Amino acid sequence: MPTRALVTSYAQDLALFPDRWHRLGLVLFSALLLTLPWVADPRWLSVSNLALVAIVGSVALMILTGFAGQISMGHAAFLALGAYTTAVLGEQWALPFWLALPAGGAVAAAVGLAIGPFALRLRGLYLAIVTLGLVFLVNHMLLTFSDLTHGVSGIAVPMVTWFGAEASATDFRSATQWGGLRVVGDQKLYFLFLALATGAVWVGKNVQRSNTGRAMMAVRDQDLAASVLGVDPARTKVTAFGLSSFLAGIAGGMFALQQQYITIEPPFDLNMSIEYIAMIVLGGMGTVFGAVAGAVALVALSPLAEIVGRQLPLIERLSSAQQSTVLFSALVLAVLVFEPMGLLGLWLRIKRYFAAWPFRY
Amino acid sequence: MVVLIPSPTTRQGPLLELDDLHLAFSGVRALKGVSLEVSPGSLHAVIGPNGAGKTSLFNCISGVYEPQRGTVRFLDQDLHAHRPHERSALGIARMFQNLAVFDQLTVLENLLLGRHHLYRTTFWQDALWLPRARQQEVAHRERVEDLIDFLHLERYRKLPAGMLPYGVLKRVELGRALCMEPQLLLLDEPAAGLNREETEDMARYMLDIRDEMGLSLLLIEHDLGLVMDLADRVSVLDFGEKIAEGPPADIRDDPSVRKAYLGTNELGQAKSPPEETADDKPDSGASERP
Repeated sequence: MPTRALVTSYAQDLALFPDRWHRLGLVLFSALLLTLPWVADPRWLSVSNLALVAIVGSVALMILTGFAGQISMGHAAFLALGAYTTAVLGEQWALPFWLALPAGGAVAAAVGLAIGPFALRLRGLYLAIVTLGLVFLVNHMLLTFSDLTHGVSGIAVPMVTWFGAEASATDFRSATQWGGLRVVGDQKLYFLFLALATGAVWVGKNVQRSNTGRAMMAVRDQDLAASVLGVDPARTKVTAFGLSSFLAGIAGGMFALQQQYITIEPPFDLNMSIEYIAMIVLGGMGTVFGAVAGAVALVALSPLAEIVGRQLPLIERLSSAQQSTVLFSALVLAVLVFEPMGLLGLWLRIKRYFAAWPFRY
Repeated sequence: MVVLIPSPTTRQGPLLELDDLHLAFSGVRALKGVSLEVSPGSLHAVIGPNGAGKTSLFNCISGVYEPQRGTVRFLDQDLHAHRPHERSALGIARMFQNLAVFDQLTVLENLLLGRHHLYRTTFWQDALWLPRARQQEVAHRERVEDLIDFLHLERYRKLPAGMLPYGVLKRVELGRALCMEPQLLLLDEPAAGLNREETEDMARYMLDIRDEMGLSLLLIEHDLGLVMDLADRVSVLDFGEKIAEGPPADIRDDPSVRKAYLGTNELGQAKSPPEETADDKPDSGASERP
């Protein structure tokens, strides 16, 4: 049983991977992640890509709802803004994706910063209703500007790698050779998304362990006490909205690039907002781990349900979409009843079991 | 070894001046012209029966309430229009009556939050964990560890505050207020709900804070024994008015204070303290207010 290394400095205490066991785990986990696109079949590869998109989106919501305590039903609106900005910039002006993607984040962040001040006067369910309105507002706006967005008929999402007409002929997602190794589009997307998701998780973790994140949690738990301590609640809430909507915009752009062709509704409807709330609740509120675990679990669930559903009596008679809905609801109910801390609680329990092994506790 | 940083107490004149504070909540007049001065390096107690306006007074000082009339001056600066978080940056820290520690955060995080306004990092430095963020985090941690040492919180450092017993949480809250590097510490019933031993510890901490750290304390407390033993000066509030002020010995014998605390007898005179009125008729309602 590995023992925890003795922490001898405060800097070491702050490190994300403080001892060699953590670092060993990191190496093994990275190796696993890097080999995944070579071993997974195309279907599971696209599931992995969607999971990476969901990780970025759920880290974004975790910062707003899990850290700062601002309930938002408008997450889909920020994803829609990011997705459509990325799509329109690529389709209308043939901008390379590495410019269009951050632009999507910036547009979403601008709207998030504009919505943030509402949270200064509204809280809880009232804020939820205001952000809910944002979903309809954004969708309506996207439909209205049909010159740019092509309205209900949807828009193709090119992924050009460089400026200029001849460069735009080559899509990032087309298969190429990497030093004698043939890589298909989804594999390339996987590595890009893996980098982006790692970045989002890292930022989330940095916020959590720094002064900014602590201020958010203070505002979440008791905003009066927080302000007497010197935390500016207004500034903190607006910061949370800005960062969260920026990351959500990036997630939306990633989603658009993965889908290659997007429409407004579905997917960017209330359902998507609720799915993201389900992710962070399922994963465990208030931690980055919870956001990641919830996102992966929720995205992997529907293909898993299709496999499992066929084997189960009664459930096999349902259509495949119904099967995954039923199994998903059952799982969420079970988690909330038996492990209210979500997958995080489950993880802590497993960790404690092995830490105490061979004893029971 | 606890490193206590003494703040200069060479200041002449009062640290905090309250002048003619009036506060009313649509008809209920919580404060009616209260004036008070806290001199540097002193332990000033505010006592009074329940509902006398003590906590309202604190709320006016820390900026939670804005008095309708009167001024709050701290370090010769009028605090009117300073919002709560700006007042804490000036050097006023507060410990709440009903605990206001953040249950889901660890003791360490709670204490670090006390240093929030001393952090010199921007949001970007935090989000990207730039060297400055790390360096600040370590620097503030060092100061927090001094106070963890001072308040004997070592074993609880990494535990969520929600798991800890009341007496420890009181210490966490005191520690968090001290982490703010204040010049004036507002303590709202620090000994309420503590047992004898914990109360004695708390008294020790208060004296150390005054004598070794050189802070001024403004204390609300119902435990009169504690107040009379510790305070340099006592102000008594009753129904939103200051009815007496002076050193503890004078306050003890002040007839108006006795009247406020113990009520009056049939002749309208203030009663004597209970131990001297043991032979009084039991139905005279010793603790009834006029």
